[in-house]
Amino acid sequence: MSTPAEGKRRRRFPSLMRALRLPENDPLAMIGVAIYVVFLLVALFADVLASDPLEILFLDDGNLAANVPPSLAFPLGTTNLGRDIYSQLIVGTRAAFVVGLTAAIAVVAVGTLVGLLAGYFGGWVDNVLMRLADIALGIPFLPFVIVLAAFLGAQTQNVVLAITVLLWPNTARVIRSQVLTLRERGFVEAARVAGSSDWRIIRVHIAPNILPLSLLYGSIAIGWAILTEASISFLGFGPSGSVSWGAMLQDAYASQALSRGSYNWFVPPGLCIVLVVVAGFFISRGYEEVLFPKLKD
Amino acid sequence: MRSVAIRFGQMLLVLWAVATLLFFLFRLMPGDPTLAYIDTTFTAEQQEALKRQFGLDRSLFEQYIAYFSNVFHGEFGTSFRSKRPVFDIIFEVLPNTLALTALSITIAYVFGVLVGAWLAWKRGSVAEALGIPLVLTLRAAPEFWLGMVLLAVFAFGLGWFPSGGANSAGMTYGSTLERMTSADFLHHLILPAATLALYLQGLPLLLMRSNMLDVLQEDYVMMARMKGLPEWRILLLHAARNALLPVVTAFALGLGASVGGNVVVETVFSWPGLGRVLVDAVAGSDYPLAQGAFMFIALILIVMNFVADLLYSVLDPRVAHG
Amino acid sequence: MSLLSVRDLAIDYATKGGSLHAVSRGTLEVGAGEVVGLVGESGCGKTTLARALTGVVPRNATFEAGEIVFEGRNLLGRPVSEWRDLLWRKISFVPQSSMNALDPVYRVGAQMDEVLRLRGGMGRAQARERTDELFRMVGLDPRRGTEYPHQFSGGMRQRAAIAMALALQPALVIADEPVTALDVIVQRQVLDTLRDLQARLGVSVLLVTHDISVVAYVCDRVVVMYAGEVVESGTARDVLETPRHPYTMGLTNAFPDLERAGGTLAPIAGGPPDLRHPPRGCRFAERCPFALARCRAETPPLVVAPNGHASACWRSDEAPALSELAKDPSTWTLTSTSAA
Repeated sequence: MSTPAEGKRRRRFPSLMRALRLPENDPLAMIGVAIYVVFLLVALFADVLASDPLEILFLDDGNLAANVPPSLAFPLGTTNLGRDIYSQLIVGTRAAFVVGLTAAIAVVAVGTLVGLLAGYFGGWVDNVLMRLADIALGIPFLPFVIVLAAFLGAQTQNVVLAITVLLWPNTARVIRSQVLTLRERGFVEAARVAGSSDWRIIRVHIAPNILPLSLLYGSIAIGWAILTEASISFLGFGPSGSVSWGAMLQDAYASQALSRGSYNWFVPPGLCIVLVVVAGFFISRGYEEVLFPKLKD
Repeated sequence: MRSVAIRFGQMLLVLWAVATLLFFLFRLMPGDPTLAYIDTTFTAEQQEALKRQFGLDRSLFEQYIAYFSNVFHGEFGTSFRSKRPVFDIIFEVLPNTLALTALSITIAYVFGVLVGAWLAWKRGSVAEALGIPLVLTLRAAPEFWLGMVLLAVFAFGLGWFPSGGANSAGMTYGSTLERMTSADFLHHLILPAATLALYLQGLPLLLMRSNMLDVLQEDYVMMARMKGLPEWRILLLHAARNALLPVVTAFALGLGASVGGNVVVETVFSWPGLGRVLVDAVAGSDYPLAQGAFMFIALILIVMNFVADLLYSVLDPRVAHG
Repeated sequence: MSLLSVRDLAIDYATKGGSLHAVSRGTLEVGAGEVVGLVGESGCGKTTLARALTGVVPRNATFEAGEIVFEGRNLLGRPVSEWRDLLWRKISFVPQSSMNALDPVYRVGAQMDEVLRLRGGMGRAQARERTDELFRMVGLDPRRGTEYPHQFSGGMRQRAAIAMALALQPALVIADEPVTALDVIVQRQVLDTLRDLQARLGVSVLLVTHDISVVAYVCDRVVVMYAGEVVESGTARDVLETPRHPYTMGLTNAFPDLERAGGTLAPIAGGPPDLRHPPRGCRFAERCPFALARCRAETPPLVVAPNGHASACWRSDEAPALSELAKDPSTWTLTSTSAA
């Protein structure tokens, strides 16, 4: 015989396990995971895989290796200043992951916390937090990030800050409505009657049940963060001197790569962004199927 | 009616909060904002006079009051760079931005709704298995990169379209309307509009598809079949009509967000619009112009958020006749 | 000749876990002007069977065998267009919960209008007149036709659904749990309206329900289903008072009698079998307190007695004695322990 309390405690584990288990039945989600793994490995071993992305290279005859088409020595060719595009691409993976992961973690942490507080306590707490969300949603996204990056300085943490300030409301709203439904469930009511503290109810009964949703929104936020960082860098408000896919595209655009038809320069960074972002979409869809299974007829 | 009044009040609150945020944001600007404007040849007195003109000699609180009074009177000051009123500059480029946004978002939503409904109808088919990943991939592509690829192929490679701007150099027109209905303008509009439409179509498409899948499960669709109604009528007047509700809201939201989100596409195509004005102003420390452009973009966004709410209650009798 | 005659109908659902045999031996008749009850537990296939009569089935459902003869024509095996032509003009449907069965974005009157004009070929004025008439018939104020479904109460929506089903004077109305979602008092009112209109208009009704008391209240004849098969059928009086199948005996015990209060409640222990892998022999044997070895080996056929009372049980002949035993709640408790 298990006591009711034990039964309740056990109930949170299935959803926790469900959240952490990858949707392995979904081929698209597994493709997404595979893409992530590959890029993560590339980011980790970038030093081995690539040479200095900013080094100016020369040809055997002593001339600057500018605008060299793809060859064995330069798999993706070189830039107009004689830098190796392949090395930039490899090293740029790091920037993408740093921004993507930190922004996603920050967005989800803030969004989940606000959603929890608003949904659980309701009343004026809810009112204030939801009006704050309205305000954040009333701020034009890219213009705000541009202004913040320009005024606070173009460091990565400011880009992450700007993304967090604007993206948390989406997560918070979904978490809030989920908490609202959870709050009405029997086991939460029972815990409250049994005299559990608010903190304990949130920690034991509510938080584990909304974790899957947080992860879902996290996997989407990674993509948005990477896209935003690329846009900012492309507009010239990114960290200067850093190597990122967005900065590569800005460089290519500003150096007439388009009119010269240097597809080898501006296509690969764009494709990398597409792959990483779409991987997040695929995974989040897989999670969605697990979390909100549609009636399969 | 009461709920509309409440929503309107909330909109005003958001407008005030964003304007306030904007005020403080622009005081974060590094260094003296007038430095970009003040020539080294200016005397100290001239510099003081300028600071007075921009109200920078007063206390923060006084500046805040003056700022709101100016905003209310549509007075956004003078651009540091061009020395022209900010208001004039914004109104000059606004039609370009609206034309680009309206055209691309309309194409995106008409296409997205039709294809989304079709994919829902064809669920389980090869078209669905290939279509969904393709749409997601397009949605994952950065707009500016899509624009760069289109530029390289269609403007520089094939030479079918101009590579930037809204009108060819040297063309003169009697009025804005005449300019914007000219073949030259449309020729310039096609590539940026196509880029934005490609980027925007994913949301309505996926939304419409998932709504249709839900609605097709509803009893009233089954009932419509049992009534022996024609299939097209069931699909369009019962299923699609219901599935469209959230898409219409998304359209209004998207319209508002796109005006500000055009920033990158306008930059890629050198499209003389609001977003590009903002980017140039920020890059050039032209703070009255940047502030004015930001304010306009935010205003459009907030008003469209409010309109989206209203639209939903007009279209859904469950909300309208609650 | 009866209006509708269903013979050995079999319907499968394609599911992830394989074929689910939702209906295996669906056999029933509905005579002209008759009210026939189709009863059974949820998941026994009664709703699947009833909906299949309209030909509108879920995408993953297939007709595997049998025939549906309506006015002398077997609808299975005829072109779909022919079936569709009968829909609403000859066969109409009252759904379980009319909240979702009425389209939320159109006014109730407009939805009546749609069916009257598109399916009934009426003009604008004629349709409006008919809508008012139908509203009055089911006890609704015609002025409320300009309202949306969500502005109606549950009972009103059900009345509107009945009005809509009767709109084109069909020969057969299929009502799928028409009062289940309503509270008891409103249930009675809506059933009264339904019975009254049925008698006045002479329409046949196939009433799907899990509630034996509803059957006792309105039906002329009863068909009992268990696990996708028809196990007993006959006049309401015969089936309810002298049941011949142990499942029916258990079912009549499980519901309090509407007329005579104080009946003992003895629910049947256990649950229905997995229809993806139905057991050999009689499907009720698992839960039957009277099951013999033969019951688990051979499927009993549906045998029709001279009075039209049909049942599919190897021990039908002992029915009166078994029925007495079945009235003792301990008979059913014993099975539950032995089954567990």
